[in-house]
Amino acid sequence: MIGELIGATIFGLLLLGIHRKVIARIQGRPGPPIWQEILHTLKFSFKVSWVPRTASRVLFVGIVLVAIAIWVVAYLVVREGGSLLILFGIYMLHKIVEHGFGLSSGSPYGKFGGVRSVISAASEIPLFVSVAGIVLVTGSLLISDITAWQAVHGPLLLALPLAAFAMYLVLLSKMPWGPFSIVESKEIVSGYKTEHFGIWRAGLEVCNGLKTSVLLYSFIVVFLGPLPLLWVLALMLGIQVSLSFACALTPMLAPFDSVTVQSLVAGGLLLYFLALGVIL
Amino acid sequence: MNSIGGPPLFFLEFGDIMIYFSPYTVALFLLALVFTVLAIVSRPENQVEILFGTDAYYGKEIDVPEMRFRRFMSIACGLACMGAMVTGDLFDFTLFVSLVGICNVGIVAAVKTKHVQNAAFQYGIVALTATVPLFGGAAIAAATTGTLSMIALGSGLAGPAPFITRAALVLGVMGEGMAPFYAAKAEMFRAPGAPYVIMCSFSSLLIFLRVVEVVLTI
Repeated sequence: MIGELIGATIFGLLLLGIHRKVIARIQGRPGPPIWQEILHTLKFSFKVSWVPRTASRVLFVGIVLVAIAIWVVAYLVVREGGSLLILFGIYMLHKIVEHGFGLSSGSPYGKFGGVRSVISAASEIPLFVSVAGIVLVTGSLLISDITAWQAVHGPLLLALPLAAFAMYLVLLSKMPWGPFSIVESKEIVSGYKTEHFGIWRAGLEVCNGLKTSVLLYSFIVVFLGPLPLLWVLALMLGIQVSLSFACALTPMLAPFDSVTVQSLVAGGLLLYFLALGVIL
Repeated sequence: MNSIGGPPLFFLEFGDIMIYFSPYTVALFLLALVFTVLAIVSRPENQVEILFGTDAYYGKEIDVPEMRFRRFMSIACGLACMGAMVTGDLFDFTLFVSLVGICNVGIVAAVKTKHVQNAAFQYGIVALTATVPLFGGAAIAAATTGTLSMIALGSGLAGPAPFITRAALVLGVMGEGMAPFYAAKAEMFRAPGAPYVIMCSFSSLLIFLRVVEVVLTI
């Protein structure tokens, strides 16, 4: 189990390195080596750590542990075929964790990043209307039931393409350097993670690696069904590269534009699933 | 009952009031517990503000009475959240959710700044208004099915609750869980004091996550 978690974290960090590399190559830069995020994590693990004088000390440290814990739980939920609601709940809770990161430091930059997290969470919540679509079609929210349904009826992607699109948008919103990455844009330094350095930042990097793996893995399991490990890894890489293209070719939106775009998509999906509910 | 949040693990009966733990409600309950403990043991941040248009900055201090009151409200909010996460009774759920709304208003209203006080007043009006659909939803469920038990409603014994019940509950929770609607407003910037402010956003999210399970179950 611990080996799997470490493997998922390292693979997630590698995917984030590939993400940076692809964006750089599209933009005509050489970019960092693809293992840069792994090196970052190791580097921060051995740097001097401190807690700012203005910080809420317990929260400043505790939120790092909460961040890692929720993604460990998310990994276990996908692995054990648990409820999709728990998984989606964790997606949303990650926004509150970012909020906690930002506000715990007392820094104005962290605070702005933290506040933006809550704003973007507000626009993401309706995207989880796709849950209703999955219940309507498969009759369950247990991942084990959904994969069993797909074994009989084929990939859920074909039955609910718009739900898959909604979840793809959620993946995109959680990717760094993307159109919705308002929580860590450069005008607020590094946003919510500005003040977390040393071992605290290493913890955050571990969380990001695990988060990337879980997000991509769960998307494949829910919309494409159970596949052999090599296929899963190849598809995770493929989805990651497609996300990197979207991030590289789309400018970062202003905070309120980001919320507006997500809200409009969510509104359209809500109407679609209401219609689907009436038809089914 | 159906297993939207995973199969129920444990039932705890208090007379006709039922508390149930499923993997989903346990996960939410534990998170509420963790953040409540953080609110209890954390000292608040000392927020640094930048003066607009300059390089100057100043620090904000929180006095002890304000800190104590906001901590009390945060703990009450956490306890209400924990109740809302595990209750199996529709009326109890609405009670806990309205308590979360009251505590959220209290957390913000304790800050003695004009803009924050104005925001708290508006929060209060919205939270108060939201109690109408919230309790109305539970009342309609009781009137049409004869029960407020989520277990009975989920098992199909009492029949599914009408659509208007679900819509009213979601609307009520949206009003009580105000943070997503006010996150961009001034008080989030002007009201110092993590982890207390975080409890507003966190509790709002938790009750929203729970109501998703409730409306899919009943």
